[in-house]
Amino acid sequence: MRFLPHTNRDRISMLESMNMDSMSDLFTDIPREFHLEEGDLNLPDALSEAGIVRKFTQAAEKNSHMGHHHCFLGGGTYDHFVPAVVDYVISRGEFLTAYTPYQPEISQGTLQTLFEFQTMIARLTGMDVSNASMYEAATATAEAALMARRITRKSKVIMAASVNPRYRAVTQNYLSRLPGEYVEVNMDGFATNVDKLIAGIDETTACVIVQYPDFYGSVYDLAALRAACDTAKCLMVIAFSDPTAFALIQSPGECGADIAVGSGQSLGIPMGFGGPHLGLLTCKQKYVRQMPGRVCGMTTDADGKRGFVLTLATREQHIRREKATSNICSNQGLMCTAAATYMTLMGDESLKTVATRSAAALHRLVSQLPKHVQAAQGARFHETVLSFENQQKRDLFLLEARKQDIFAGIPLEQLDDTMDARHLLVATTEMIEDADIQKYLTALEVIA
Amino acid sequence: MSIPANLKYTKEHEWVRIEGDTATFGVSDHAQEALGDIVFVELPEIGRTVDAGEAYAVVESIKAVSDVYAPVSGEIIEVNEALEAAPEKVNTEPYGAGWITKVKMSGNADELMSDDEYNTFLEE
Amino acid sequence: MSQTSYSAVSGIQHEEALLFEHAHEAAKSISLPGVEGDISPELQAFSRQEAAQIPGLSEPETVRHFVRMSQWNHSIETGFYPLGSCTMKYNPRVNEQVVRLPGLADIHPDQPIDSVQGVLELLYELQTWLCELAGFSDITLQPAAGAQGEITGLMMIRACLDARGEQHRKKVLVPDSAHGTNPASAALCGMHCVALKSRPDGRIDLDELKKHLDGDVAALMMTNPNTAGAFESDIKEICQLVHDAGGLVYGDGANLNALVGVARPGDMGIDCLHINVHKTFSTPHGGGGPGAGPVVVNEILAPYLPVPRIVKEGDVYRIETHDEQSCGTVLGSLGQVGVLLRAHAYIAAFGRNHLHKIAQDAVLNANYVLHRLKGAYHVPFEGLCKHECLLTDEYQNKHGVKTLDIAKQLIDLGFHPMTIYFPLIVHGAMLIEPTETESKTTLDSFCDAMLDIAAQCEAGDTQVLHDAPVKPFRRRLDETQAARKPVLVWQK
Repeated sequence: MRFLPHTNRDRISMLESMNMDSMSDLFTDIPREFHLEEGDLNLPDALSEAGIVRKFTQAAEKNSHMGHHHCFLGGGTYDHFVPAVVDYVISRGEFLTAYTPYQPEISQGTLQTLFEFQTMIARLTGMDVSNASMYEAATATAEAALMARRITRKSKVIMAASVNPRYRAVTQNYLSRLPGEYVEVNMDGFATNVDKLIAGIDETTACVIVQYPDFYGSVYDLAALRAACDTAKCLMVIAFSDPTAFALIQSPGECGADIAVGSGQSLGIPMGFGGPHLGLLTCKQKYVRQMPGRVCGMTTDADGKRGFVLTLATREQHIRREKATSNICSNQGLMCTAAATYMTLMGDESLKTVATRSAAALHRLVSQLPKHVQAAQGARFHETVLSFENQQKRDLFLLEARKQDIFAGIPLEQLDDTMDARHLLVATTEMIEDADIQKYLTALEVIA
Repeated sequence: MSIPANLKYTKEHEWVRIEGDTATFGVSDHAQEALGDIVFVELPEIGRTVDAGEAYAVVESIKAVSDVYAPVSGEIIEVNEALEAAPEKVNTEPYGAGWITKVKMSGNADELMSDDEYNTFLEE
Repeated sequence: MSQTSYSAVSGIQHEEALLFEHAHEAAKSISLPGVEGDISPELQAFSRQEAAQIPGLSEPETVRHFVRMSQWNHSIETGFYPLGSCTMKYNPRVNEQVVRLPGLADIHPDQPIDSVQGVLELLYELQTWLCELAGFSDITLQPAAGAQGEITGLMMIRACLDARGEQHRKKVLVPDSAHGTNPASAALCGMHCVALKSRPDGRIDLDELKKHLDGDVAALMMTNPNTAGAFESDIKEICQLVHDAGGLVYGDGANLNALVGVARPGDMGIDCLHINVHKTFSTPHGGGGPGAGPVVVNEILAPYLPVPRIVKEGDVYRIETHDEQSCGTVLGSLGQVGVLLRAHAYIAAFGRNHLHKIAQDAVLNANYVLHRLKGAYHVPFEGLCKHECLLTDEYQNKHGVKTLDIAKQLIDLGFHPMTIYFPLIVHGAMLIEPTETESKTTLDSFCDAMLDIAAQCEAGDTQVLHDAPVKPFRRRLDETQAARKPVLVWQK
């Protein structure tokens, strides 16, 4: 077997050195009744390396990928451009096959990269500090709710219904076995209603969670909510799904967020059918000891040289056990490396170009829509909702767009079953060209 | 190992200094040594009432985290805010600048150990 | 040093400034596609006021920056990684190649279902394989990591007990040798842990277990082989006792590498088990993640699996998003798909005919290391070990040398240290897991290094151990300073 270095001679000599006759002598502590015989398992025979490549290639060919399709799909996952250098860096064995940097002397590569990642994420989101990543955005949102409960020692969590339904589902699930209230506040049309959120705040409220830009792409003013949270001494948590936005529009920090969480998938990570992505968690400096997950800090070594270590470990499960801030014990280390590489290649200027072109593509599409299709009103970043007369017309259009190799949007009821089946959630990125928009508009003519 | 004579001690290695109805809490020299380099002290809120034996603060070192229990009952009236910037004072001056909190006592300290009793307890 | 079989020499390493210290105006390194046009006037009203200050380097500078940093890392591709409980095995390169196929990497999770049948087929097949090799009837691929698998398992157990009308069962029994994630996960499920004192040989004590098995017990969480590397030979009785008391048994699959292809946890009475595919099935650790922690369950818990689930109807795959009995949703997607696909490729490479060799060679290697080191190091629990072996620093303590010193000296000799000070049930623990992908030459080289260190202690030549490491790019780092005054972001 090609991944196993021992020859049979090695095995025999090792067994002999221990006065053993056969491999089965190594398993005499497992009761006989549980031993499998060779071939007992109902699995296929081993594949050669060539066989694996062939199998995966054939499976991959059954999927339609963005190499020959145009992606107007968003909902938390976005088809941004990923420079080749990003995948090269994370393919290097020294990053790819390293363990968690618990031995800092021989892990400075991972650690300095994490420190740079944390710094860039803090700057992009406008927050004081970032941790060294969460699994993905939905669990990060749940962790933010738990964090706010610890900080405020209050238990009620108010969630805007304009937060991504998946973030809401996971947060609701995480909170459901703990004491305390969880409330979702309805939206108006396809936009967040800040007044209704404020009306829900009371003295038991730990935090209000909003998404910005919200799930429907809406960008809105959070000043009134910030003030209301100050008055009630609760936290304002901002969730986000595409941080490239903050190279263009006001960051969560500028909006006054206490905690900002979201997805970093847009920062150089392939869509990959939903994972592995990157969860981000940032907060104000004063809450740093209540942050979940790993975090990297700067220090000096025995010779006084600058170096980096994982720090604040006493918050974590392996020391604090049931009182830990979270049960998390891994992060998305490699995805942090990808995001750090991506941001380094981009810098402020190209990040802003990505955000601007993503938003410009949507603006161009929306401003040319025919009368029989309505786009949601108000400021939108790179995502919006298109509403059709009925499901039949919408689905007819989707079919026509598919013929033009366009994935034209996500039927909203697939993500949120409270929705009528006549809406599409539509997103654009810098990968959408003028010609793609024209094709989209042409396909809409089929239902004119 | 320093065990000042004017203080009372608990089996969890806290000390208390009683002056009138005010009691000052801290952790003993033995405790700070066992914990190692203290990196953070989570202080209680002023105005909170604590019962004897209740955890009122958390002391963190690099590799360990430990609840600190109130030696006597009372209402928290002052916390040592200097520990926020300099938690190492718990290591260097556990009975002085490393104090943690002051309470207005509502219970008594009859159950606690004297310095001699604490010394014997440590030797056991 | 009497031996010269280890290969550490000073490498060609460079100091590399932080990105933020590369002092020149940001170079433009990227040409981007897209629409060059205006954004909407409504959006303009929300413009960011100050730039984020992301520096930006040219492409050649970026590559050199990250490649130089990479060279400060130990990794499985550069050296031995005997971390107990972590299963640091070789990560096949073909797995990296196949998951990067555009048809698997460049697909959106909400594409029409008919346009993603290929990836669903691979995931569904992985589900059936994991069930088969662990001995269970159903599975969720959703959990993002082992720790999330634990929560998910406990959520299912909670849902099952609630369905039985036993809301009061909230006690989770955990051996004192367990991973720290166990009590943290229980707390998140509104349950609380009670620690079971281990037997003198590190195994679960049946009498101690019986003492705690009352009407409040929700579950026993156990790792088998346990965290001391020993198989819980009473596993059948243990599960029976818990079931008789009305509880369920959660298996922590961290140590599945010892059993894969040889025996199945599901056959032993365990009700659900998370599988760390980044351990057993060789997906790269990536400096801390991503992992994946699918959970396999028996018929009792299957109705409570999370949604969404992949369902096969005829030859067509679809995704089921609703189920009244489900314990809910634990992740924003179907799972860490790219990680799961690598695991698929790994299992496919072994297949029915070779899978057992993983556990066989892993256990052989651990016992071989134990055999070579047992005279020189104290072995707290006698007998066979499974995929990892446990030593302590008891003999070296007499010479003023501790586990930490031994670990740091190994770094100077070119090895990653073993897991140290875990499990907590022995003093000065050193937990060594060689895995099956290491050659006898590497194992001998490591054992030589360990024996040399022990000999240095006996000879009183210990200063070098206290000074270690001296060879790496950075020496012992001041963790106290880092934690007292946390500096988590760069500021000039």
